[in-house]
Amino acid sequence: MLGIPDPQIWLAYLLSILSAGLCVVYGIAKWNCDN
Amino acid sequence: MDRTLLYGVVALYVLAVAGLGYYAYRRTNSDKDYLIAGGNVHPVLMALAYGSTFISTSAIVGFGGTAAMFGMSLLWLTVANIFVGIFLAFVLFGKRTLVVGRNLDAKTFPELLGRRYNSSFIQRYTAAVVAVAMPLYAAAVMIGASRFLEQTLHINYQVAVWVFALFVAAYVMTGGLKGVVYTDALQGGIMFIGMVTLLILTYTKLGGPLTAHQSLTQLASQVPASLAQKGHQGWTQMPVFLSEYWWVVVSTLVLGVGIGVLAQPQLIVRYLTVKSPRELNRAVGVGGVFILAMTGVAFAVGALTNVYFSQTVGQISLAAAVDPVTKAPNVDRIIPLYINLAMPQWFTYLFMLTLLSAAMSTLSGQFHVIGTSLSRDLYVGGRNGSAAQSLMINRLGLVAALVITVWLSFKLPLGIIAVATAIFFGVCAASFLPAYVAALYWTRATTAGAVASMVVGSITSLFLLAFVYVKGSASLGISQAIFNKPALFAFPWTVIDPIVIALPLSAFTMVAVSLLTEPVEQALLRRCFLGRIAAPAGTASVEAE
Repeated sequence: MLGIPDPQIWLAYLLSILSAGLCVVYGIAKWNCDN
Repeated sequence: MDRTLLYGVVALYVLAVAGLGYYAYRRTNSDKDYLIAGGNVHPVLMALAYGSTFISTSAIVGFGGTAAMFGMSLLWLTVANIFVGIFLAFVLFGKRTLVVGRNLDAKTFPELLGRRYNSSFIQRYTAAVVAVAMPLYAAAVMIGASRFLEQTLHINYQVAVWVFALFVAAYVMTGGLKGVVYTDALQGGIMFIGMVTLLILTYTKLGGPLTAHQSLTQLASQVPASLAQKGHQGWTQMPVFLSEYWWVVVSTLVLGVGIGVLAQPQLIVRYLTVKSPRELNRAVGVGGVFILAMTGVAFAVGALTNVYFSQTVGQISLAAAVDPVTKAPNVDRIIPLYINLAMPQWFTYLFMLTLLSAAMSTLSGQFHVIGTSLSRDLYVGGRNGSAAQSLMINRLGLVAALVITVWLSFKLPLGIIAVATAIFFGVCAASFLPAYVAALYWTRATTAGAVASMVVGSITSLFLLAFVYVKGSASLGISQAIFNKPALFAFPWTVIDPIVIALPLSAFTMVAVSLLTEPVEQALLRRCFLGRIAAPAGTASVEAE
């Protein structure tokens, strides 16, 4: 996947992007949450 | 490089930073302004300030070069940086730190721990550890930045150290944390643009992500035998399980740096700069994307430099970046060499500003925390004074921070940079993290438990760095001097990061001693946790009383 043969590496590549995505989604979902 | 254009770009940048410093100075009238930037910073500014303080030049150049050596396995550190260093840090630590900090009127990290455990010893011990360990880290950042200025602007190293230190200290001293946050936001913006541009230019140059990654995969056959013996299997593969390089990547780089970030006082104090937990929720997204653009780009591009050097000079990055003096491979040279050879000239100016911003934003946060630890936490230690007196004492603390850091920058050898950073990360995590987590989440945690945990964490961490972890012990030379060998034990202990041992030991001590000693007063717990915060274990009964 992504030109990377080792699943441990392409998983890290994808997870780094997904982690940032998680932060964005969380930030939007909790935009007005005050606790 | 066009010298006139170079100096013009630097002058514009310096003017912008100085202008923001002056803007902050005009708005700094109290302890609250100086220590926590007034407590009402915009979430985007807070996220950029947190991120740019988190990411130093070493994270881009040093760790980028390290990725050129180890390959894309370092992307696990990016995952840790984003998930642990931003998501968990803001959501689990930041919001609770903010509420407990406000309830206790704490404005520094040592003060937060001291008031939570009702112990001036804890406040002073925390401040002392920060005041001793952080100048090493700050000097490491300053040495790197001054060497960079020396090479780029062709100025004497000693002049570079003084210019750099005095300029950063000037806007921290006058504007306090407001000066730090405002300039950090500008610097964070420059860093973001610089790193995203670097990624786009690199992938474009190497034929797109898929082609670039495939080319990198095909280089596996060029792994030198000396690296293969230690577990290197190629730049798109993890090192061999439990090999020397596997331990380095997993324990030192991913765990050591990834977890160590949670207990860094200069980052923790950022949580106290916003108005409410809602602002931290809003800051999470910006922080996550920012860190992806920093370490994600640095590690991917660092690994991909091997493709560029292989295609242009027929060598892998390590071989291409041989130090002209020592004739040994130098990972710190890889990223600058790649930028100079592979990138268009206009980008070298942008990248220079990116690195300058990374160094200044980290150093300003370090100066601020060393200064407040020396003044507010160690010297004042909870005593009251007028606002003007407090501001003056805080500013004097900053002068002390400046002097200590500059002195270390002249005394420490160049090779100490990575070790000094590791010492700070390791000591902070082992000394503070269990007591900090317990302070926020465990009402059964006692003062004795926190004291024991902090002392055990500090001593264990320093012992391992001095006698067991060979990267640290060989540099420090204490083990060699006493026992006539660089480290006391054999592999794998020599490559396991001290955090892997010292942190669990510190956490165990926290729990064991707390359970064996009397709980803290209910009134203190009530004061700590009352408010909008969700009840930690045991607090419901406290509130019900």
